Amino acid sequence: MKRLIFALSLIILAIAPFVGETAMKLANLFTPEATEYLLFWELRLPRVGVAFFTGAILALGGMVFQAVFRNALTTPFTLGVSNGATLATAIGIVFLPASLAALSYFFSFVGAFSTVVVLFLFARSLKATQTHSLLLIGIALSFFYSATLMVIFYLSDLEQSYSIIRFTMGSLSVVGMESLYPVAVAALALLWVVIRYRPELKLLLTSYENAFLKGIEIKKINLILLLAVSISAGVCVSVVGPIGFVGLVIPHIVRLLYRRSSDALILPVFYYGGVFLVFCDLIARNLGAVSEVPIGVVTSFIGGPFFIYIILKQRGRHG
Amino acid sequence: MKLSVDNLSTPFLKGISFEVHDENAVILGSNGAGKTTLAKALVGLYETSSVLVEGEKLASLGSGRRAQLLNFVPSGLDVFDEYIDAEAFLNLSLLNGSTPDDLETVMARLNITGIRNTPCRCLSSGESQLLLFAGGLLHNARLTIFDEPTANLDSDKKIKLFGMLKEHLGWKIIITHDLNLAYRLGYRILYLREGELVFDGSATDFFEESHFRSLFGESICWVGGHFVVNYG
Repeated sequence: MKRLIFALSLIILAIAPFVGETAMKLANLFTPEATEYLLFWELRLPRVGVAFFTGAILALGGMVFQAVFRNALTTPFTLGVSNGATLATAIGIVFLPASLAALSYFFSFVGAFSTVVVLFLFARSLKATQTHSLLLIGIALSFFYSATLMVIFYLSDLEQSYSIIRFTMGSLSVVGMESLYPVAVAALALLWVVIRYRPELKLLLTSYENAFLKGIEIKKINLILLLAVSISAGVCVSVVGPIGFVGLVIPHIVRLLYRRSSDALILPVFYYGGVFLVFCDLIARNLGAVSEVPIGVVTSFIGGPFFIYIILKQRGRHG
Repeated sequence: MKLSVDNLSTPFLKGISFEVHDENAVILGSNGAGKTTLAKALVGLYETSSVLVEGEKLASLGSGRRAQLLNFVPSGLDVFDEYIDAEAFLNLSLLNGSTPDDLETVMARLNITGIRNTPCRCLSSGESQLLLFAGGLLHNARLTIFDEPTANLDSDKKIKLFGMLKEHLGWKIIITHDLNLAYRLGYRILYLREGELVFDGSATDFFEESHFRSLFGESICWVGGHFVVNYG
């Protein structure tokens, strides 16, 4: 099963930039004058790259959050980072002139980061093991943002409402390599941090007490991991919007597939998170006759049933 | 190493003060007397400013140094990740000079090599207890506090563990409500009752007939060299 999935993943990554609405002649890929050149290097490749690194961040972030919060339902967005980004974007859409629409990236970035800062300030006044309280604060913050978003909706006109809703669905329609760089840097930085703290992560995967007794500074480690995940998730949200489900299901699916402790799955979770989003995007781009299907819809439609299938299969085998 | 407790008060403990200076001890007390809370305060799991190591506040000790000096072996195994197995758990306890060879030796002595690849969450309570004990030995802190190390074990294993406890070279505090264990260990006894330290002295003094009766009345009998519960 593992090998089959790995082989499939390689095929998906290999064909992803070549499959799309417009068929491409391979020979034209390196001729700057051809349409294919622009299509491939400015649209398809950055898009696949952004999809890969976004999926990787969300999946790895989800795995880390699930370990830190000891809760299988947490995702990088559970603490309100995506709601913060959505709210700030909505504020930008409604209160700024349309000519400043290009600033929406900046707004979602500010929204995501101010959420991280607020969380960080709260976390400083909590005890090391009070991650439950932090989780609750994050959830309360999310609700507060959602409520404020409702007010913004109420104040917006039809066109603005549509723009806000479209943002919440997530979109991988990026143009040019410039969009790829921040996401790629964020993904690799997160990967580096998680690998760097792998021994500490493994101890956290036993119990907080055990990690403490083995000499881990739990509060420091938790904050580093939390910040690394939230910041990289914030970068994702500001480039592609909130894409749900990847952070929740991929860590679980990879764990069930490999049957090893999470600290040994850093690379597989990173890789398959990326592949999963590339695959979902492949479908989103090629399914719709009129326009592409929102990516968030595809991730849920594919991830949900597959997740349930894997869980049922595992339960059947192991009682 | 001198570990001192100066007027420690928590919701469960009332003004406890004592010192342990490179010696073994037993913390005795009935259920809910505050034994585990006291132990957790001694290793820093319960944050307090009343515990001092060599005159320095425990809370201000660096985490690495703390792990060298103090360890606590809980009575129950708590592992979050369902795929961490017994060997991986013990590997995480290789501190203060312990080697993978020591791991093999300890596993063999406790006869738990068979559960090496069993996920921690699938272990029985007895197996978990042996695994925790092995982890405590491998961690090899200057002072280790064992919380009810024999509670879930059958008699053979209790005897084996008792022997290994006696042999273990590091300093240790053993929390128990097993009077026989406390008696056989013969260490200094700290007796807790409802959060108060009501006795701190030698095992000989503690088990002296009249003192013992004053604490337990007729509920415990001395039969054939052992304490047994008097069900009436």
